[in-house]
Amino acid sequence: MQRIFNALVQFRNPILYIFLLGFSLLFLSSRSSFHQNTLEKVGFYFSSGLYSFTNSFDEYFHLREKNTQLLEENTKLKSLALKANTPFLYDPYLGNSKRFPFTVINANVIKNSLLNQRNYVIIDKGSEDGLEPEMGVITASGILGMVKSVSKKYASVISILHKDLKINVRFKNSSAFGSLVWKGKNPKEFSVEDIVLSSQIQKGDTIVTGGMSSYFPQGIPLGIITQIKSDTNSGFYVMNAELFENPSQVYSVYVIENKFKNEIEFLTKKAKK
Amino acid sequence: MSSITLKTFASFIILVLFQVFIFNQINLFGYINPLVYLLFMVNYRFDGNQTFFIFLGFLLGFSIDLMSQTGGAHTIASLTVSFLRPIIIRYAYGVTAELPKSFRNDSRVLNRILFLLFLIGIHHLIYFVVVYFSWDAIFIILKSFSLTGLFSLILVLLISSLSRPTK
Repeated sequence: MQRIFNALVQFRNPILYIFLLGFSLLFLSSRSSFHQNTLEKVGFYFSSGLYSFTNSFDEYFHLREKNTQLLEENTKLKSLALKANTPFLYDPYLGNSKRFPFTVINANVIKNSLLNQRNYVIIDKGSEDGLEPEMGVITASGILGMVKSVSKKYASVISILHKDLKINVRFKNSSAFGSLVWKGKNPKEFSVEDIVLSSQIQKGDTIVTGGMSSYFPQGIPLGIITQIKSDTNSGFYVMNAELFENPSQVYSVYVIENKFKNEIEFLTKKAKK
Repeated sequence: MSSITLKTFASFIILVLFQVFIFNQINLFGYINPLVYLLFMVNYRFDGNQTFFIFLGFLLGFSIDLMSQTGGAHTIASLTVSFLRPIIIRYAYGVTAELPKSFRNDSRVLNRILFLLFLIGIHHLIYFVVVYFSWDAIFIILKSFSLTGLFSLILVLLISSLSRPTK
């Protein structure tokens, strides 16, 4: 305390000077709007630097919160985008639920693998969040797979990188149907099977989900055709496709639920009997 | 109150009144108004209380600003000069600055002129920079600074040499 006092006494002149200078600057800016403007500009220059500095810290500490908000917003937008992609199969008077019978739940990938021939993914939403087996899982620009089993808080997903999983696909420009199968090596390389030679396909065409299965809505863009060969013996094309998104590098996903899946499956089973 | 303090206050009030009512109305060549109130800074005792002097310098500029309806330019300039005055004295007079004034009554003219040059130069520079306060006006600032400074210097020298015998 004594030292502070000594320092104050020792530097009384500079302190007095700075205090009075501040006062006269205030006086100056109150007397003249030109000076006020210029001083404000100077002050703004310094304070903006300071603000952006503190703001960057602030932003860093709120990243998690921001992420959650963004995910929520994305979920809403995703469902809108899916709705827009889906051709309206029914008249509007049937209501939106019939026209787009899907709901979207967002989730995070906590474990992913690509080294096996049959890969699985674990996501951090489970039965408590309304997940059930056989729901489709999609990503920002593609699909990830299908829910296999569900625990209370987690769910395992059959990855699209699974040799036995066949995804029903369609072409954006033509109505030919086929299925997308992983080739088992590169996580972006897929083959498209079961497309008859009579359909008009070109290299570079976009493949989208077909909507024949009840898992995925129609029209999610998946990838493009990179190679086409026509196999005259079988009467089918042999095609290679590349996905837009690497399924092994996905962190946030959307689980989609078809509200009418049970009805559709019930009818399918009945027809098979 | 000692006679020295009384004298200081008297010269303070007289200089403010003279500056505001006479020297601010000169308008030589349209814009030159010599700032004669700097005489106060010149004549204040060299061994006087510096803290008190800073406050006096502030009050001097402030009262001139208030009475001549200008911004805070006089205040800032005279406050800064009164703060820097010991440094200017040390620079202009060297070691002899520490001696009481009676010893230096016949001090060398060169030192005195150097002292006045620094004092008036710094004051006028700050004053005009604050008045125009813009890079675009740099030439106007330099012109007013040099011309007004010259006239102030001449007037201060004249008046102080006139008043010297009476001390």
